[in-house]
Amino acid sequence: MDFAGIVTSVENWGVAEWMRSSLKAMPFVEATHVLTAAMVFGTILIVDLRLLGFPSTRRSFKLIEGEILKYTWAAFIVSVITGALMFAANATTYYGNTAFRLKMLALLAAGVNMAVFELITSRSVAGWDKDKPPPGAARFAGAASIVIWVAVIFLARWIGFTKGYNFDVPDNVELNFEFPAQ
Amino acid sequence: MLEFAEWLQTTPISVAIQSVEWIIPLLQSIHIVMIGVVFISILMVALRVLGHVRTDESFATVWARFAPWMWTGLVVMALTGLTLIVGEPIREFTALSFWLKMTLIAVAVVTTVAFGRSIRPATLVAAHGPEFSGGIKVATVVTLAIWITIIFLGRAIAYDTEVWGSLSLH
Repeated sequence: MDFAGIVTSVENWGVAEWMRSSLKAMPFVEATHVLTAAMVFGTILIVDLRLLGFPSTRRSFKLIEGEILKYTWAAFIVSVITGALMFAANATTYYGNTAFRLKMLALLAAGVNMAVFELITSRSVAGWDKDKPPPGAARFAGAASIVIWVAVIFLARWIGFTKGYNFDVPDNVELNFEFPAQ
Repeated sequence: MLEFAEWLQTTPISVAIQSVEWIIPLLQSIHIVMIGVVFISILMVALRVLGHVRTDESFATVWARFAPWMWTGLVVMALTGLTLIVGEPIREFTALSFWLKMTLIAVAVVTTVAFGRSIRPATLVAAHGPEFSGGIKVATVVTLAIWITIIFLGRAIAYDTEVWGSLSLH
């Protein structure tokens, strides 16, 4: 599959061009991404801490998970949309950026961790839902989730510092990088 | 102000923060992780006021559960934020977004402290907390909007000219 070709054509989409040329689109989209990503992390943190039995097991896990996950999913969907818009604007740059690739792998790991928990570990939830210490697999899922999502945030910030700039020097400008000694 | 920022940027501590490659990204990353902790703590309390979550618990219990995380998170954000300012003072002080953000933070913190103090006596009375009036619910939504605006302004610092045009201090 020609990923490089797909990435180049994404960068030529109309919405990608709009993101690049509109003065206010990028700051607004990015700020929305930060807000919703923080919401994803914060809501997941509540569930993960409960999986670790922290601060207490007094409240039902199913109740905590059930009432908060709709906010997590809503925030995640907006994060994906805003992330896709930012990606499209500079698709070839992000595609080749190591921090970006690692972030995508981390998101995949988060998804696998969640799937394993939902499909396997949570089958036994009736036995530890309330006032009982969660089993090892549940605690592992919670701890792994926290580590992975913190890594996602750190990697995301690192993208900003490593993606470089897209500009060409105009033909009639001579740039002299020989700075005089101070 | 700009002269102070220019002086600050040449101090040894500022130069140290600028010159070690990973310090600013690390501080910003911690700052963003804390946005998650602080904003969701505030959101959970707000959603309880609005009757959407944890209605099986008294308001006092929900406040006690999340307020410590909110205050601790805000302290960490103040420390990381202050270090970021010391590291790049000109960038911050010449951004209108930065000054608006600081003003709103002061407003939001005062509002949150006042809210915490005002509901405390009432919540000790009933097991499941008071029914919050329409006025308090509106104030809660406004407070959430202020915190969301603060988050947007934080990102806008890097785009101050694009966002504010001629109003930017650059």
